[in-house]
Amino acid sequence: MAVRSILIYPDPILKQVADPVEAVDESAVAVIQDLVDTMVDSGHSVGIAAPQIGVLRRVLVVDVSKSKLGKSNNHGLLEMVNPEIIEKSGSKIMREGCMSIPDYTGNVTRAEHIVVEFTNRNGQLRVIEASGFEAVAIQHELDHLDGLLFLDRVSSLKTDLYRRKSK
Amino acid sequence: MNHFALTIVGRDRPGIVSQVTEILFNQGCNLADSSCSILGGQFTMILILGHPEFTSRESFGEAFKPLEDADLTVALRVLKPGGEIRPQIEGDICMISVYGADKPGIVYHVAQVLGEKQVNITDLNTKLVGTEERPVYVMVIEAVLPEGVEEEDVNTWLAPTRDELQVDITVRTIPTVEL
Repeated sequence: MAVRSILIYPDPILKQVADPVEAVDESAVAVIQDLVDTMVDSGHSVGIAAPQIGVLRRVLVVDVSKSKLGKSNNHGLLEMVNPEIIEKSGSKIMREGCMSIPDYTGNVTRAEHIVVEFTNRNGQLRVIEASGFEAVAIQHELDHLDGLLFLDRVSSLKTDLYRRKSK
Repeated sequence: MNHFALTIVGRDRPGIVSQVTEILFNQGCNLADSSCSILGGQFTMILILGHPEFTSRESFGEAFKPLEDADLTVALRVLKPGGEIRPQIEGDICMISVYGADKPGIVYHVAQVLGEKQVNITDLNTKLVGTEERPVYVMVIEAVLPEGVEEEDVNTWLAPTRDELQVDITVRTIPTVEL
């Protein structure tokens, strides 16, 4: 359909909570397709959420199958409408970067395993179990639907060490 | 825009950051990177700042006098052009945790090994924790590994240090991901 331009922080849309999709109709499918096209066009990206292209609806796409870290453990192209994490466990630190915050990366701790429920492009409810890089990517994109950026999740080691001591 | 590195150290109390940044704001300085933290009982501030006209220590005149009067130590370094720009350091990021019973030489011996192997330390914090009777020294290093160096290599290099100092060392690389 169309490659859309990616919003860059401080665009205020990136800090808003996206609305649930009532029905996976033509307009929702169009958003999914624009997200896929934009993700593929950006080359290095493994995921993108609707607010990043200026659409405040709960839609995201993730595909880690072509990346070094995700190619051995993935579900291929995931198109998620109204995704919700229903279980999470473990923790994993990755240094995350984001297309909406160029030139900056930060260490973020996220769940290592997640179970996520969503509606697919055909309107069917699906539940999948994801782990490792794919799980991190889904959590990062899902945060965009809640107006959260990885900057909201960054914790410094200094702070961690300090907290533990002050307990 | 000329750039400066400013360091301020003094006994910790509420209001230091406010007093310092008020002066800098009134002088027309732009703050760039900074790191401020409590170390022991001292509050320390390290700031990179820019100013459109100031060129030297003298340009600031008596601006820092109120800080010195409040028993803060102030040092200003004039940066050469480009000195404010962070270099792009390519390579995998690696976290190294070192901890054990406190003894002299922990930082030096670990840093010596890393320096010899061209591992670039980008962040290093240490803290004395535990109890007075049993002090425990903790060091956390963030470093960038040269090309071709893996987590296991760093582990192997640090193994003799681990045995000599009787400390625990864990090394883990943190993958950088673009999402």
